[in-house]
Amino acid sequence: MAANQIVESGTRQFIVVKIGAEQFGIDINYIDNIVRMQKITRIPKAQHYFKGVINLRGEVVPVMSIRLKMGLEDDEFTNVTRIIIVKIEPQEALGIIVDEVKEVVTLEQSEIERVVKDSREEKSSFINGIGKHNGELISLFDLNSIIVDNA
Amino acid sequence: MDVSQYLEIFIDETKEHLQNLNDCILTLEQEPDNMDTVNEIFRAAHSLKGMAGTMGYKRMQKLTHDMENVFQEVRSGNKAVSAPLIDIVFDCLDALESYLDNIQNSADEGTDDNQAIIDRLNQILSGEEAADSTGGQEEAAQETEAGQKSEEGSGDAGKEKFLDVVLNEEEKKEFQDQIAKGLQIIGVTVYVEEGCLLKAARAFIVFKSVEEIGEIIKFSPSSNDIEDEKFDNYFSFFLAVKDTDNLEGTIEKITTTAKNVSEIADAFAAKIPESMYAAGIENPEEASNEASKDSASAKQGTAVSVQEKKKNGNAPAANNGNKPAKKNTGKQGSGKPVVSRTVRVDIEKLDALMNQVSELIIAKNSLVSISNVDGGGQSQGFHDQIEYLERITTNIHESVMKVRMVPIESVVNKYPRMIRDLTKKLDKKMELYMTGEDTELDRTVVDEIGDPLQHLLRNSADHGLEPNDVRVEKGKPEVGSIHLDAFQEGNNVIIEVSDDGNGIDTESVKNKAIERGIISEEQAEAMSQKEIIDLLFLPSFSMAKKITDVSGRGVGLDVVKSKIESLGGDVEVKSVLGEGSKFTIRLPLTLAIIQALMVTIRDEKYAIALGSIQTIEDVPKEDIKSVEAKEVIHLRGMVIPIIRMDKILDIPPKEEEDSNLTVVIVHKGENFAGLVIDQLIGQQEIVIKSLGKYIENNKIISGATILGDGEVALIIDVNALI
Repeated sequence: MAANQIVESGTRQFIVVKIGAEQFGIDINYIDNIVRMQKITRIPKAQHYFKGVINLRGEVVPVMSIRLKMGLEDDEFTNVTRIIIVKIEPQEALGIIVDEVKEVVTLEQSEIERVVKDSREEKSSFINGIGKHNGELISLFDLNSIIVDNA
Repeated sequence: MDVSQYLEIFIDETKEHLQNLNDCILTLEQEPDNMDTVNEIFRAAHSLKGMAGTMGYKRMQKLTHDMENVFQEVRSGNKAVSAPLIDIVFDCLDALESYLDNIQNSADEGTDDNQAIIDRLNQILSGEEAADSTGGQEEAAQETEAGQKSEEGSGDAGKEKFLDVVLNEEEKKEFQDQIAKGLQIIGVTVYVEEGCLLKAARAFIVFKSVEEIGEIIKFSPSSNDIEDEKFDNYFSFFLAVKDTDNLEGTIEKITTTAKNVSEIADAFAAKIPESMYAAGIENPEEASNEASKDSASAKQGTAVSVQEKKKNGNAPAANNGNKPAKKNTGKQGSGKPVVSRTVRVDIEKLDALMNQVSELIIAKNSLVSISNVDGGGQSQGFHDQIEYLERITTNIHESVMKVRMVPIESVVNKYPRMIRDLTKKLDKKMELYMTGEDTELDRTVVDEIGDPLQHLLRNSADHGLEPNDVRVEKGKPEVGSIHLDAFQEGNNVIIEVSDDGNGIDTESVKNKAIERGIISEEQAEAMSQKEIIDLLFLPSFSMAKKITDVSGRGVGLDVVKSKIESLGGDVEVKSVLGEGSKFTIRLPLTLAIIQALMVTIRDEKYAIALGSIQTIEDVPKEDIKSVEAKEVIHLRGMVIPIIRMDKILDIPPKEEEDSNLTVVIVHKGENFAGLVIDQLIGQQEIVIKSLGKYIENNKIISGATILGDGEVALIIDVNALI
């Protein structure tokens, strides 16, 4: 995996986003783009956490509500709502709606704590690490588990 | 020589040749006396051998060579076409195909010598030897004759040009030295085929291969001239070989080695008469004596060749005359189309082009929508240009699509062979009738439909057709028939596979489904014939009473169905018990860009493929009737079910229904349905984009498209609705 290959320098970069009151980190290697909220075309009969699709420079990209996926309340779109376009697999872009994009952080390997997945809590199954940065905790998304259809 | 760059061409051409051979041999099986076909087979086998040889695939070359030998015999009338011969040749083709598979996968032909097949081919040949000596094979006879004569110092066969070679003193000396060393000198003359393009290369290969037998001590013409192709259709050389008891064998080996090189028409070799190198004898005279009738054996090579050409008028001319004639008749006979000028293009390049055209169409659509929104603001010229642009993009799109289209022929023409094999394997007589092989489909689709079609044909052969005796009892023709028909219908291509067998026994399907617990008995009672037949498409539902090699391994019609659906098509079955069944495959003509009708349902926009739309009707609310709790309308004598699109698409219903409904009548084959929508926007060319693999929906939406204003609209899959 691309992310793990950077271990040589011992550091990984994450984009820190806010979902509700919590901060999450998305590995920067997976991120293709960050776009503003735009019109999402609803897809009937799709999984409930898929808001629909958007037009990203001529490509149709599905957009997922990570809130709904994690079993949180539905998104409320504001001025700072963004869609993070990630490419976990080549040629398969996916948009993830976040409440706000905060910053890019660089974490030392020592600042990342692995977490054991707890299947009882839905939210935690998408997290594979906790990063500590400036005294704050950042939950690090496991993107591969996000694309797994568990609904 | 590095041949890897030719590998692709080799693979393509070998495939073509093998297909051609398959077709021809099938024809030959029907008409064993068709000499045109025999010639065509010979020609294809010969090219195949040459190509394999050039690429260094020795085993493949050997096998083709032996096959070619058999047809050489057939061609010269020494061997009649028999059923075992056909069988062996088919096995031989299969073996060649497996070589090709290996080559395709690993650029290596593999290690299977297929000795068994070669032995069988040789058996056929050896059964032939007797006939041979009676002088049936002109060339061979001539060769032996010439060989004997030359031993006696006479070259009246005239083909052994090496006898006319004039040696200078130095060369004579060398020849004598070789003899003194206990070697023998063999003169060899090799004839290249008419129209051979790389004579020098062929000659080089001949030299290369005979050098394993002995040392070449003299070339005629000189090696430089041969290299520069300064020779007619033959060249000679002298080989110093070890003098053994089996000199005859060595000579034989030389000629066969030379003849094995592709595009070599013939080769003659013999021990040269002593007089040729005997010192102090005036050569021309000697030679003229030796070549008894060769009255004017000249001093110069060129003169000789002219002379010889005339002299040899009889035998080789018969040979040469044979060849062009063969080619002509061969072509007419096999009905091969005249080859059109083509360029091979990597499919990826075409895909890239296609994507760019898609982008262009999206950009054009944006322009069109801007010009519409701003309305009267622009000049007439602007609108004209927009229209012009629209026309051009449509044409470009069509052209690109056409480039990607290939006839399904390349897939279906292997089926006659398959059915032939099945006839033997299942011991059922059957005929395959095909029409519409020239129907064109997108390359990507053609590549994928082979397996599903094959499956359906095997299905018909194995399960569909009854055994011959049963057929006779039923008063049907003994030989079962399977039809494969392809044709275009609107934006779809239809491929039908039908047989006149027993049809689908819905009762036994029903029982089987109940037995397997797929449906309950109550459910079974309520099912229509069609619903029962559809059960066959469920995974692992095989109806084969006994599992055979041909079908019924549990991979069944469900695989066919899912494959066809992944190509954007669908499968339908009709069956009448006792009379046969018909599978209809419907495939979209184009995959990427279609003409569509844009509609709105509340504030959402949807596209419906124009190809599936029959009419658009304005239906008063009162005209909608209810039949068995389903809404229908009567339209021109038909009862058409109504589908409320808002309901299907999870859109909240309107508070108050309009007095008139806009109904788009769509069809899938002979089934119709009316889709209730809110408003029509208009017709538009749309680029189909996939929704990606993350989103699942129940197939109502087949994709999305980007509209002129950048908005995404979804494409409704009519086939999934009906």
